[in-house]
Order: sequence, then structure tokens, then C-alpha cells
Amino acid sequence: MTTQTKDPIIGLYRDCFPDLARMIRRMGGSLEEAKDAFHDALLIYMEKEKAGKLQLHSSPKAYLLGTAKICWLHSRGKGTISALPEGFEAVQEEDDGTEEREQSLLESLVRSGRKCMELLKAFYYDHCSMQDIATRFGFNGRRSATVQKHKCLEKVGEEIRSIQAYA
Amino acid sequence: MRSELNEVYQIDSYLLRQLSEEDARAFEARLLLDDALAEKVEAQRTAHRLIRRYAWREERGRLEEIYRLLLDEADFAHQIKTIFT
Repeated sequence: MTTQTKDPIIGLYRDCFPDLARMIRRMGGSLEEAKDAFHDALLIYMEKEKAGKLQLHSSPKAYLLGTAKICWLHSRGKGTISALPEGFEAVQEEDDGTEEREQSLLESLVRSGRKCMELLKAFYYDHCSMQDIATRFGFNGRRSATVQKHKCLEKVGEEIRSIQAYA
Repeated sequence: MRSELNEVYQIDSYLLRQLSEEDARAFEARLLLDDALAEKVEAQRTAHRLIRRYAWREERGRLEEIYRLLLDEADFAHQIKTIFT
């Protein structure tokens, strides 16, 4: 089986995006806007699913189309805050200096330790078990993976403090 | 685990709201008295935010890749082209 058929997001993408694109087009939007809104909706969907917090009252497709439409309306300044889906803040960029500051901090952290960032993402974002992390990153069991995770978090914390001290 | 790593673990438990109410209150009391600890907590809070930001960036890259892959499929590409012409 290829990666392409194994990843359920690819199937969802293939099934949902043309319908969303049609809807956004009818409302006067562009292909690029439809894609951005769809990616925002998929990010919200995937984050909730990984955290076990996805509560669907209809199909994944209805959820994605509804969420993407709200994201698109918001990006056009037409949406109301109360209609925003939970998790929306996660995928939006902030306008003040925070965005730039944190982006530059992140660049520096990735430069000095991409593996640590990958490991921390696997734990905090993908909600992988320590056993899965041990297997994926080649550690000798859960305990060793846990120690490494704490070392990575300590290293990232130290780097943040050191960069902020000189900022 | 060495004591520094224990501290990282304890801060994480506090930030992820995994401490009991009593332990959380005791930890907050320590924060008021210990500036160095408070600084570490803030850095770790920022670390959590940056890990999430890193994850979004990686996932966005993956979604762009999926979009490009699907455009190689004649049926998908045709549908999209028809909608926007």
C-alpha cells in the first residue's frame, strides 16, 4: 500500500476540496483563498482528532466544509467572532509583534535542534505514547524516551530564556 | 532523573494542569517566592506555544504537499480547473 492511500487526510482532501472550492467560488473567492481556508479547517480537525476532542454531529466532510466556510468568511472580515470554531486561534497568525518574535525564536530552535522539536511535537501535538516515541526515535524503551523528552524541553526552555535575555 | 529534569517535569505537570488542586496551590506559592522558578515556568510556557507553532508549520507543509500530489491526478485537477475558469 502506498503512503498516498494510507493517509486518511488525502482521501478527505480529494473528497471535500472540490465542493469547498465550488462554494468559495460562488461566494466570490479565489482558489488560493479556498485552499487556505481548507487548510485552516483541516488543521483544526486534525488537532482535535489527535487530542481525542473531535465531536462530530455530522460527517467529517460536513464539519470540514462548515469550518472552512467560517474560516474564509473570517479572513474576509465577514465573520462574527461567536461563529468561530474552537481551535481557530491555533491556525491564525497574530498581527502584533508577537508573531514576528515567536517566528524568529522558532527558527533559532529548529536550527539548533530539529530532532528535539520533532520529538516534542510527537508528544505534545501528535499525542504519541512514550513507547511509540521510543520506537520512532530509536530510544531504548519508554523510560529513556521520557528522559530525552525532558532533556529536550529543558534545552528549549534554556534557549528561550537565553534569547529573551539578549533581546 | 537528575533534579533539573524533575523540575522540568514538575513545571510541565503544572502547565498541563495535571497537579492536584493542593499541589498546584503549593507550586504557585513557590512561584511567588522564587523568581528563577517563575522565569523557568514562563520559558516552558513559551516552549509549549512554540512546539504547537512548529507543529502547525509542519502540518501546513504536509497539506501543501498533499494538494500538489492531488493536482497530479487528472480527475481532481480537472474539477479544480473547471471551477475556477
